[in-house]
Amino acid sequence: MTAAPANSGDYYILETEEISKHFGAVAAVDGLSIAIPRQGMTSIVGPNGSGKSTLVNLLSGTLPLDGGMVIIDGVGLKLVKAYETPAHGITRTFQEVRLFNQITVWDNIMVVLTNRSLFPAMLERAKPRYREQAQRILENVGMWEKRDSLAMDLSYGQRKLLEIGRALAVDVNIYLFDEPFAGLFPQMLERVKDIMKAMRDDGRTVIFISHNMDIVREMSDHLIVLDSGKLLTAGEVEDALNQEEVIAAYLGA
Amino acid sequence: MDRLLANPGRLLAIVLTTAVVAYIGWKVILSPEQALQFTFNGLSVGAVYALLAMGFTIVYSTVWFFDLYYGAAAALGAYGVFYLRSQEALGGQYQVNTPFVNVVFAAVVAGVVAWALHTAFYNRLRSRFSPTVLRVGGGLLSAGAGAYTGIILTYPKELHVILSPAVGLAVALAALWGLSLIYRRIIGNRGLRPFLWVAALGAVILGAYCGLLIAQAPGAKLYLSWAVSCLLAGAVGLALYRGLYMYMRQRARSPLVMLVASLGILLAITAFTTIVFQSAPRPLPEPFGSRPWSIGGATIKGFNVFTVGMALAGFFGLLLLLKRTSFGRAVRAIGDDEEVSKVVGINTTVIIAVVFFIGAVFAAMAGVLSGHDTAIQPRMGLLLLLKGWIASVVGGIGNLYGAIIGGFILGVVEQFGIWDLAGEWKDVISFVVLILFLSFWPLGLLPRK
Amino acid sequence: MRELARNPRAALRLTGGNIELWANLLVISWAVAFMLWQGVGFAITLGTVFAIWAILSVSLNLVVGFSGLLSIGHIGFFGIGAYAMAILTSDASYEQLRTEAIPTLGWPFFAALPVSVALAGLVAILVGIVFNRFRDDIYVLVSFGFAIISFNVFLNWRALTRGAFGIHEISRPEIGGWAFDGDLAFLALVVVFLAAVMLVSWFIVTSSFGRVLTAIREDEQAASVFGYRVTHYKLAIWVISAMMAGLAGGLFASWTSFIDPNSFILLESILLVSIVILGGLATIWGSLLGAMTFVLLEEGMRFLPFLPNEYVGQARQVVLGILLVLLMLFRPQGLVGRFKL
Repeated sequence: MTAAPANSGDYYILETEEISKHFGAVAAVDGLSIAIPRQGMTSIVGPNGSGKSTLVNLLSGTLPLDGGMVIIDGVGLKLVKAYETPAHGITRTFQEVRLFNQITVWDNIMVVLTNRSLFPAMLERAKPRYREQAQRILENVGMWEKRDSLAMDLSYGQRKLLEIGRALAVDVNIYLFDEPFAGLFPQMLERVKDIMKAMRDDGRTVIFISHNMDIVREMSDHLIVLDSGKLLTAGEVEDALNQEEVIAAYLGA
Repeated sequence: MDRLLANPGRLLAIVLTTAVVAYIGWKVILSPEQALQFTFNGLSVGAVYALLAMGFTIVYSTVWFFDLYYGAAAALGAYGVFYLRSQEALGGQYQVNTPFVNVVFAAVVAGVVAWALHTAFYNRLRSRFSPTVLRVGGGLLSAGAGAYTGIILTYPKELHVILSPAVGLAVALAALWGLSLIYRRIIGNRGLRPFLWVAALGAVILGAYCGLLIAQAPGAKLYLSWAVSCLLAGAVGLALYRGLYMYMRQRARSPLVMLVASLGILLAITAFTTIVFQSAPRPLPEPFGSRPWSIGGATIKGFNVFTVGMALAGFFGLLLLLKRTSFGRAVRAIGDDEEVSKVVGINTTVIIAVVFFIGAVFAAMAGVLSGHDTAIQPRMGLLLLLKGWIASVVGGIGNLYGAIIGGFILGVVEQFGIWDLAGEWKDVISFVVLILFLSFWPLGLLPRK
Repeated sequence: MRELARNPRAALRLTGGNIELWANLLVISWAVAFMLWQGVGFAITLGTVFAIWAILSVSLNLVVGFSGLLSIGHIGFFGIGAYAMAILTSDASYEQLRTEAIPTLGWPFFAALPVSVALAGLVAILVGIVFNRFRDDIYVLVSFGFAIISFNVFLNWRALTRGAFGIHEISRPEIGGWAFDGDLAFLALVVVFLAAVMLVSWFIVTSSFGRVLTAIREDEQAASVFGYRVTHYKLAIWVISAMMAGLAGGLFASWTSFIDPNSFILLESILLVSIVILGGLATIWGSLLGAMTFVLLEEGMRFLPFLPNEYVGQARQVVLGILLVLLMLFRPQGLVGRFKL
């Protein structure tokens, strides 16, 4: 662990306290306490079934917590409601790409830009501000030409990009990416990397799950290693990756 | 206690259950005889629901969608009996005999038989005969089956005579199969062939005897008509899967597609039934056991006991089929993962088609039994369907034990519910039960693992 | 264009695969031909029936097509609207049947219509809160339940609805001494309401709200992660749709001036869903097309020589059922739909 500054509430943007999640008898996340720094990019790694995706689901309210507390930017939550996460400053992508399939690419972006409250949304049409933002994001992820096709007609890589673009469109501080690099061609991989780096340089907290150690080394500043739902180690990337337990967990030695 | 208070839904569920149990208990103490009467009524109604629910369950646990055709199957079963028996039993008052219907069912049976022959024998016999011979032979056989069905439907007065060869054949085959099974179990494959010749002789004699017996017994016509109409409804169910749902399942993105398609089928068959039989209620001929017995101050008809017995027999039969046979193992494998079952060499098309057949037969049986108890109406299918659906949800979707328990519970609760309310509210009670169950026990009483 | 004139086959090739175009052409030309053949009086009746069904199917399409909730209970709200109208406006001077008398209030049409709409909306709030947790096939089952429960209430709550006797002498609309008692005037009124319903629906589905609804339809959980309270959205559209159905019910009761529970049976509800799916999911125009097809089917069949008149309704049901199966097989979005089931 690197030495945290005295005022750790400022240094860490996202913390968990003893959170757990059980599926039947299996503890997917088991009393996990982690802290993710505000600055830089953090990656979560671990073998299959170590609870990475469950952790992301818990942080984003997609799954309810069985116990423990999530602290987002100093606000402690025992119950993370999915629809409140953007207000807390969190958004995410999904491991299995989950777009709004039967609407257009354009609408997929627009839908996360518009007014959240019910009755104003009924009266609201697409404002020029939203249009510009959507265009900027679509151009950023290189989907502007595809804006009128249905999301279900896109290729896998394009869907992945669009999902990242959709997360990008939400203006929050913490971005959780669940395996953003899996299954991408090199060209698209570079694009995703560039997008994520730009976000980090913009001062956002970027958290991602990956299996690719080269990318983890290249991209991230901090590392969290999970194993069987527990924290194996956390800290600066090189320190963490060189620890014996991590090597053991990965190589199965 | 703290956990209970933290979860108001659960608390409410417990309070409601206690209230219902207390209400029933209070009623039982208040007038035990009447309570017994309502229990009897509930069990006999519940048996019908349970039969439908079992039909639903076996299909749902295999292909994961509710086939609404089973509502139509229930109506088809009941109207099949009515169609076959309308000449004499009711004094010929509402006699119906429509050539169009006969032709349609003949065609369905011919198609199903052709498919069955093809899947069962084509590959096995291909090495010995040329494809043309097989096709012509199969075509002739299935055309014969279709024509036979047409004759049965056209001359229902002579049902027992027309069906006697078929019954004889069925008995002979069953006897032969049973004997060979026993021989193999006891002695093994040694000397099987000569034994089979002897056994075949015995089976033929037995079959002929049974056929003659049936041909001499006009009283058997009612029960023969049950079998015929249930099998026909089953054949339609199979044909629907093979001709329709199978293709939809390959393309569809959600089970709702099949649900809507089966809704269309239900709509079409219900309307067609109305055109042929008119919408007014019709009675079915009196079966046996229509005189009520008196037990402990309450009365129950012998036929209702038979209904409950049928539900239990159906349940145990299905249980045996699913747990003990290779067919049952295949069904469960497909329910767990269809792709994997395909890979390990299970012929999923055949298995699922047979499952649809069995489900439709159960639904038709439910329709026949409830039709004998009350009058029949073309619209009866929809309501029976919904009750069966509710029963299977209450018991636990996709669980056979749940289906039968859910059916009986729904029947009894419905009957106790109309004790203080008027009888016309019983459909409302069922749906309130459903919504309460879904809200508090969304997985039903016995959730599927 | 000139090339098309020179080579008519090119036109066929251009339009051949365009089912939407052909569906539109077919239905509209069918309707026009029918009206020319049968004359104005017939067209007025047809138009009124069409407009009421169209209001219903547009409203149901908001739920089924745009929000992905396959509700088969919509006829219940239609019935609630109709009964509210009937009970409030049924004429006091009418000689009551001895058996089941209900109080007559004798309200004017335009006072009762808002009550019809509001009552349907109120019931929809309660029902929607319960139904919101269900999905897919279970949703279908409980929505069946709503249709059955509401039918049973209409039939069995005799003190309020006179049960199977039905309610007679429901008043026609009247405004400031000018009554819509002519059929043409009533048609005009219904068409105005239809236009209003279409306008409101169009406004809703093209707003941000409508876009969120389609997103919820596609992936509820993902939509909630982006900050939308999914249950509120579903409840809102459900209530709006129910209010429109209540409006249709009020108009229907006033038009027929007699209602009984048989107009609100489950089967009608299934027919309504088939209309919506037939016309096309997630389009407003498609619902009009579906309603038109439905009305024309029945009227068209009346003139088939081999079909006895009493079987027309049943024959239409057979055709509709078969159409539904074919659509599910080949075109799961309906004729001009934007959403595949």
